Amino acid sequence: MTTSSFESLEEAIADENFPEVDLGLRRGRHIGREDGIAYDYLVDALDHLEPFYRRFGCELVQRADGYFYLLPSGDRLGRRQLSPGEMLVGQTLALLYLDPATLQHGGVVQRETLLQRLSGLLGVEKLVRTLNPRRKKFDERIAAETVRTKVTGALRRLTDLGFIDSVDDAMLRLRPALLRFAEPVRDLSDWNAALERLIKSGEIALGEADEDNVDGGNGAEDDDEEEAGG
Amino acid sequence: MSSDPSRLIAALARDRINLDLKTLDLCFLAGLHLRAERASLASFEEDVLIDMFEQVCDMVDPGAERPRKRATHAIQRLRDQRMLARVDGAGIFRSGEYTLTRLAAAVVEYFLEDEALTRESLTLLTGTLGAQLAEILGAAKRVDTENAWLKRVVAPLRITVGDLVGGIERRQRGLDAQQEEVQAEISRLLQADWFGAVERCQSLLDTTTDTLRELNEVLLRDTHHFLALLQEIQALASESGQAESESAVQRVIEHVDRIAAWGGARQRAWSNYYQYTHGYLRDVVRLDPDRALSQRLRDQVANWPSTPFHLLVAAEPSIRLLRPLELRAERPAVTSPRMDREASPDLVGPEDTGLDIEILVEGALDAGARSLAEVTERVLPNFPADLRYVVTGRVADVLARVTRTRRDYERPWRTVAPNLELEDWDLPRAEKSR
Repeated sequence: MTTSSFESLEEAIADENFPEVDLGLRRGRHIGREDGIAYDYLVDALDHLEPFYRRFGCELVQRADGYFYLLPSGDRLGRRQLSPGEMLVGQTLALLYLDPATLQHGGVVQRETLLQRLSGLLGVEKLVRTLNPRRKKFDERIAAETVRTKVTGALRRLTDLGFIDSVDDAMLRLRPALLRFAEPVRDLSDWNAALERLIKSGEIALGEADEDNVDGGNGAEDDDEEEAGG
Repeated sequence: MSSDPSRLIAALARDRINLDLKTLDLCFLAGLHLRAERASLASFEEDVLIDMFEQVCDMVDPGAERPRKRATHAIQRLRDQRMLARVDGAGIFRSGEYTLTRLAAAVVEYFLEDEALTRESLTLLTGTLGAQLAEILGAAKRVDTENAWLKRVVAPLRITVGDLVGGIERRQRGLDAQQEEVQAEISRLLQADWFGAVERCQSLLDTTTDTLRELNEVLLRDTHHFLALLQEIQALASESGQAESESAVQRVIEHVDRIAAWGGARQRAWSNYYQYTHGYLRDVVRLDPDRALSQRLRDQVANWPSTPFHLLVAAEPSIRLLRPLELRAERPAVTSPRMDREASPDLVGPEDTGLDIEILVEGALDAGARSLAEVTERVLPNFPADLRYVVTGRVADVLARVTRTRRDYERPWRTVAPNLELEDWDLPRAEKSR
């Protein structure tokens, strides 16, 4: 027996929230409890929308942490893998999300805190080499600028994807969807086995992602900024 | 005192206002405050101050040398910062008597007294405020002179009501600080005891939520009542033309509005925090009782560059909307106008009017004309109407050249053609120059 207030798929699609939710999901957005009406709509229409999106070759995933996202498995709907910058920033933000110190401010962290944590975890040189593998020479000033530029670009894209909200120029609000970055270590099983399971389910992919061609040229724009700076 | 904030701040900056209180100073002030309360003292003799300082010094800084000398410096420092005031006025004739200033009392009370808003204190304050406002409204209905308005309405509004409203606001700030403390406490409890702290954190969350909800209910109900009373007083003041009373009521209304807005804003802010923390306790702490996830994730981030993996997300581009067909208006190219540069020149008649005039003037003179007007009258009919004005001038010019003219001091005006008059010259008879 369905608990949905929608009698049919037609009713679910005719709802005024559908266009915005549908467009967001197809663009990779994670819709969480913080999104209010959009989230409530998905909870309500889930029974109808799951088979609907399956016809497009993708899965409408609902997580217990309180968010939805669309996971394409075939070629019918476009998909992309997150860039190294987005992955590093996303994982570090997930770490901050788990930190009780963040809780004191209702999940709001400063961008500066993120940069400190990121460089603390990896070290500046490793961070720069990961974010910009093509650069051979290491110059501290340019390295710092590269990191800031790449992190800014990654934060902008993670905001579009619904992993975080941008409060202002200096503050970010973390959302539970960040826990997707912690999926490989979420259970106590072997990390490799967990990774294999996630690859099979189409959640993650191995291999190199091009930092500069992640979504229609934003990365290239960042690169330009960096070159201009360097 | 000026009410302009910029001027007030400029005045503070000009006077180089600053406070520099060490822990020892604050403890000393706190000791004096507590002593004054317990012994009902209004002021302290100098010996009592020094004795208190030595006691505090023993507790705060046991190894300190020459505490008496330090006490002298501390007293002077606190006097300089307007924390202690000498009240005896005896100068150097005898040792002084001191009291804590309002500033010192406020500083010490902030640290010592828990003045957060509670349901009890709020209900008491709003009850008193309501009664006071009802009394002022009654007075406003009865008073009829300006003096009575000032005494029975403005003064109670400014002092009694102002103090009560200020008291609520002060306690609201106290509760704000308490909320911050609760948030910090929850964070500390989780840092220290993780899963073991869940119940305690949940209890702290629920207690604060209940407190805020209760306070907001009281505020919503009572501020509505206050505003109704105040608006009635304001209407009476307006009818009686009491501008000062009206503005005094307006200030209290703004205060009450602020108090009411505080309740709603804090409840919303706390609600966001509550939801976030509740979700955190449920999804993070309860699902990871050993707090192993953070460590595993930390390792994952550190090792990510050597074993990279990437999350996959949907990335359907926006639907490409073709631009609607637009009829473009053809703009002509910018060119200079074409002209036939090889065309033959136009044939025009020769301009020999001047020659004609000279001949005609001479003819008129020969025919016996003896004044400028007569000559002009004879010449003009040979020319079209549009040239006659110009010709008139040329006739005069020719005449001046070919004859000698005689002019009276007052020359008469003569009409020589329709709409054309000139100042006449006489020509002496038979005095033609040529």
